[in-house]
Amino acid sequence: MRAAEEDHPLPEPRPVRIAVDVGGTFTDLQVLDARSGAVRAWKTPTTPEDPSIGLMTGVREAASRFGFALSDVGLLLHGTTIATNAVLERRLARGALLTTAGFEDVLEITRHVRKELYVVDPDPFPCLIPRDRRLGVPERMRADGGVETPLDEGAVAGLIARLDALRAEAVAVCLLHSYVNPAHERRLAEMIAAARPGLPVTLSSDISPEIREYERSSTTVLNALLVPVVKAYLDRLETRLGEGGFHPLVFLVQSNGGVCSLATAAAQPARLLLSGPSGGALAAGRIAELLGRPNLVAVDMGGTSFDVSVVQGGRIGVVTQGEIDGLPVRLPMVEMRTIGAGGGSIAGVDAGGRLTVGPRSAGARPGPVAYGRGGAEPTVTDANLALGRLDPDYFLGGLMKLDMAATRAAIAAKVGTPLGLAVEPAAQGMLTVTNANLGAAVRLSLFEKGLDPRDFALLSFGGAGGLHATDVATEMGIREVIFPREPGTLSAYGILHSDLVQDLARSRVLSARPESLPAIAALVAELREEAAARLSRDGVAPEAQLLEVGADMRYRGQAFELLVPWLEALDLVALTARFHAMHRQRFSYADERDAVEIVTLRVTAIGRLPKPASGEPAPSGRPALKGSRRVFEDGAWRDVPVWDRDALPPEDRITGPAIVEEAFATHWIGRSWTASLGPAGALIATRSDA
Amino acid sequence: MPLGPIEIEVIRNALTAAAAEMDVTVWRTSRSTIVRELLDYSTAVFDAEGNNLAQSARIPGHLNSMSHLLRELLDRWVDPASWGHEDVVITNDPYCGGQHLPDIVAFKPVEHEGRRIAFVGTLCHHIDVGGLAAGSYAAKAIEIFQEGLRIPPLKLIENGVRNEGVWAMIRQNVRKPELLLGDLSSQIASLEVGAAALRRLAARYGADSMIEAGRRILDMSEAAIRAAIRRMPDGTYEFTDFLDDDGIDLDQPIRLHVKLTVAGDAIAVDLSGCSPQVTGPTNATLASSNSAVMFAIMTACDEPFAANAGCYRPVTTIAPEGLVVNARFPAPVVHRVAVTHRLLNAMYGALHQVVPDRIPAAYYGNSYVCTFQTIPQDAPREVLVEIEIGGSGAHPAKDGVNAFASGMHNNSNIPIEMIESQMPLTVTHYALRDGSGGAGMRRGGLGLTREWRVDSDRALFTANMDRFVHAPYGLAGGGPAAVGRLTLTRADGQELPLAPKSDNVPLVKGDRVRLDTSGGGGFGDPAARDPDLVARDRALGYVRP
Repeated sequence: MRAAEEDHPLPEPRPVRIAVDVGGTFTDLQVLDARSGAVRAWKTPTTPEDPSIGLMTGVREAASRFGFALSDVGLLLHGTTIATNAVLERRLARGALLTTAGFEDVLEITRHVRKELYVVDPDPFPCLIPRDRRLGVPERMRADGGVETPLDEGAVAGLIARLDALRAEAVAVCLLHSYVNPAHERRLAEMIAAARPGLPVTLSSDISPEIREYERSSTTVLNALLVPVVKAYLDRLETRLGEGGFHPLVFLVQSNGGVCSLATAAAQPARLLLSGPSGGALAAGRIAELLGRPNLVAVDMGGTSFDVSVVQGGRIGVVTQGEIDGLPVRLPMVEMRTIGAGGGSIAGVDAGGRLTVGPRSAGARPGPVAYGRGGAEPTVTDANLALGRLDPDYFLGGLMKLDMAATRAAIAAKVGTPLGLAVEPAAQGMLTVTNANLGAAVRLSLFEKGLDPRDFALLSFGGAGGLHATDVATEMGIREVIFPREPGTLSAYGILHSDLVQDLARSRVLSARPESLPAIAALVAELREEAAARLSRDGVAPEAQLLEVGADMRYRGQAFELLVPWLEALDLVALTARFHAMHRQRFSYADERDAVEIVTLRVTAIGRLPKPASGEPAPSGRPALKGSRRVFEDGAWRDVPVWDRDALPPEDRITGPAIVEEAFATHWIGRSWTASLGPAGALIATRSDA
Repeated sequence: MPLGPIEIEVIRNALTAAAAEMDVTVWRTSRSTIVRELLDYSTAVFDAEGNNLAQSARIPGHLNSMSHLLRELLDRWVDPASWGHEDVVITNDPYCGGQHLPDIVAFKPVEHEGRRIAFVGTLCHHIDVGGLAAGSYAAKAIEIFQEGLRIPPLKLIENGVRNEGVWAMIRQNVRKPELLLGDLSSQIASLEVGAAALRRLAARYGADSMIEAGRRILDMSEAAIRAAIRRMPDGTYEFTDFLDDDGIDLDQPIRLHVKLTVAGDAIAVDLSGCSPQVTGPTNATLASSNSAVMFAIMTACDEPFAANAGCYRPVTTIAPEGLVVNARFPAPVVHRVAVTHRLLNAMYGALHQVVPDRIPAAYYGNSYVCTFQTIPQDAPREVLVEIEIGGSGAHPAKDGVNAFASGMHNNSNIPIEMIESQMPLTVTHYALRDGSGGAGMRRGGLGLTREWRVDSDRALFTANMDRFVHAPYGLAGGGPAAVGRLTLTRADGQELPLAPKSDNVPLVKGDRVRLDTSGGGGFGDPAARDPDLVARDRALGYVRP
């Protein structure tokens, strides 16, 4: 393996590109061979102790199955949860934090607002570096970038001695106002590097140069503690590569919906933290393009969570801040709303007679009652089974038998009897409540942008999504549902079509008036120059480079900014007009007379990777209509046809109610919906007026 | 459409989602730091009679008083028949069912099929509504007229048209009109968003079903609370806690006495033993006091419930007029939050005797409100309202949490970098306050230290705080937390204590004000604390050696 360098411009002229998405259970691969245009999927178990083992196993299996040589692989695009899991499981480096003296506790004080109002025994907010490893630095910057107290360089030796005594493996540095003037942070880094050359140091002015000290500290600390963890993984990956002529360029998936070089990932691993949803969102963007549907709301439903992302006008929504395990991450990321609703969500009835579904989840262990692993509380998956929507003998393609008797008994005991309902209406009620909750999450995601669900198609994926999609769409007034091919490896499919994306930002509060233009122009020029240099460092030829400029804007006094794309070269009037229009669309009012401010300028540097066209899948010769099954639907048990997704020819039309099965997913086509194959092997359901 | 338990839950979730949509709208569009950074606002949905049906996750003191206010408006102040669905009514008047003047509440009815099916409401704590000190949180007012502009219930928007006279009237009477009116516009936008969400729901279920669902949603919450109360041992339980004073008659503690009677599935709370109303602004109207009583009982219940006005039904509050918990016009009331915090502390003291495994020791019990008005020679005056917090009380099973917004309020902090970017003030220190948590088998959470320095030529400082004499109590043998402290360090280094209730203290460039807040009380015998935890507290400096 080697990092891309300037003397190796992209792309490498080798025909095979592989996308790998390492999940908790499976490592998913999508392989594109440019010689045939074929895109093939493969799955292999994840090896949690060292995910690069499973990755290599998957690559070798795919090579022998699909007939390519390891030396044919030019590009490996790698989605990994290594950073995410390290945070969730607290397998992080032992770190120290250097802050402006007098502000060592900012990380622990947090923003201190509680999310649950009526709790009497709150848990503390998570804090990754305890108080005895947070050290004050004698220095102080002002908000305008002026120096109030110069950095006391004489004190640095003492700080380094304390880092030694604390056995710090990584150092985070977050000084007040460093987003305006990073001089003190940079000088500290130089001095530490000179004294302790191997010690990794993260500066807040590098990873997240934005205003608000707690959010910036949190981001900096996460990055610092991840550097050794991610570097160790990348080193292990390196030792696995190189075998059998396998010398691809390697890129890693970031939270922002793009990929980055190994060098970037090693220095700024916090950019990988929320990369899980990137693959799905990228796939949604690709499908939007292939199907000519510029407005898609993508929903990914698994065992424990339901993730919503939005493609509007062909673009994936990106926000400037996210959160992991209650810790803010101030970095651009794919906009995603997650609610705790999945196949494992538990239903119950409270003392007031209220039916609730979730947020408690049975997860994978013990899992739904149907799994027979000790689960006693009925879940959404159990409701789907009880109503006949899932086949007890064909779950996961028949790999797991489901226990219908236990499922029905649990629904009767925990939901039916307390509500005075028979099993079927109780199960139906569980689904109704679930679908309404899912619909509310979708609506809120669109509402926040001032968008109307009726202008969108719903893209459904994830193991449990297909059973709920047409019902949720009906709930929302959405008239089209798209079930992409291989819904279980869709993230890898998205990764296969990604680009290099680097985000750069500078915070500086400036009024959006002509007198600010020189300062704005200088900042933008600086950002553009740095962005172009970074892309060149990653081997992107000038003709494949694309720079997008944007500004976080607000009315003077507001705390939250809208990210406004700046399409016209430094035309402030056009930028301000777009801000007013966006504000009106999102918040139902705008005031052209109000003062407008620019808070942060952003440049997104995109290095386009070539997008070879993929071919259409060939239909198999099997009959597509497998048979029928008894399903409780619209108040009665009926025979409902069951279709085989993989055998479906383009001319067949499926009329709901109907079930469509494939190896790792089951789809429910509701009443008033019809479905048939569309481009790229996607199954497209449309609602007729009932 | 017939309404089974399924439809009820779907509608209830949709109402909560509507309150959340309203919340997002205020958060994203508001202008002042007190709304957008401190998050001192709430949004909610009500039935046509004014009963709260669903709440956003914001400020309990607001949320559980808005129902009281809306019902009072409908009963006495606004003719329901002439309140059109394009009319927005606002008020901040404590003597029309509100709480204190900085809290402007806006309500809008929602109609479907020609019938009123609901109200939506938004409450924002505004940065300044005039009166004798910036921030309208004067500590020395003796009549409500000194506390700022009092807006009777009136139509800010009538038939969809802004009542420009009212906007102009407000503009001339407040210190930061562009912030107040910007925040007011946010409130209106959020009402539009909430109303649209409810109309969408009504279009699907119909007016009759919406009204019926509302009734049953309230019934279910009532049943949940009653189920929890039924498990509590019958009996009468009493507790007393004290506010330091009213800022006028110093060294005159204000008594908050609670006599709580559990009988079957109902609770009666008698507040007759509280002090008479006081001269200064440490008074509360019944709307405020009731919200503390309700919050205490809701959190003491071990049964899951949806928070709404149904939860209030099993509880009766007895509070004669003329007491500090039910002040009579024209008493000043801006520091009503202190009364509600202390009332909650007293309620928990009584409830600890009822459900000892559930109730924590006292939290800091106080909103540390302080205001800086900077007065530069050649630039506009700026106002900063800070509301600081302390530590939470230790729980029977857990330590208290350091720096945790507890009890009646739920504020965030204002980023230091935001303050310094916007006005000539520097925050010179912000830290946990060592040793401020009460000792115990479970230690109380730590309070905070925050210090500000004036960078403008002149500034005025106002503080309205409590718990400087009467410390947050411990329970079951746990120790009390530290009391608060406010210190002025003059530019020349001279240090002097500042009274926690002070108006318009003149400051000059270089002066520093330091606030040390209380932690939470401890729970259980300190000698029974795990030695490893004791060692860790020492190593981290949470306790002083």
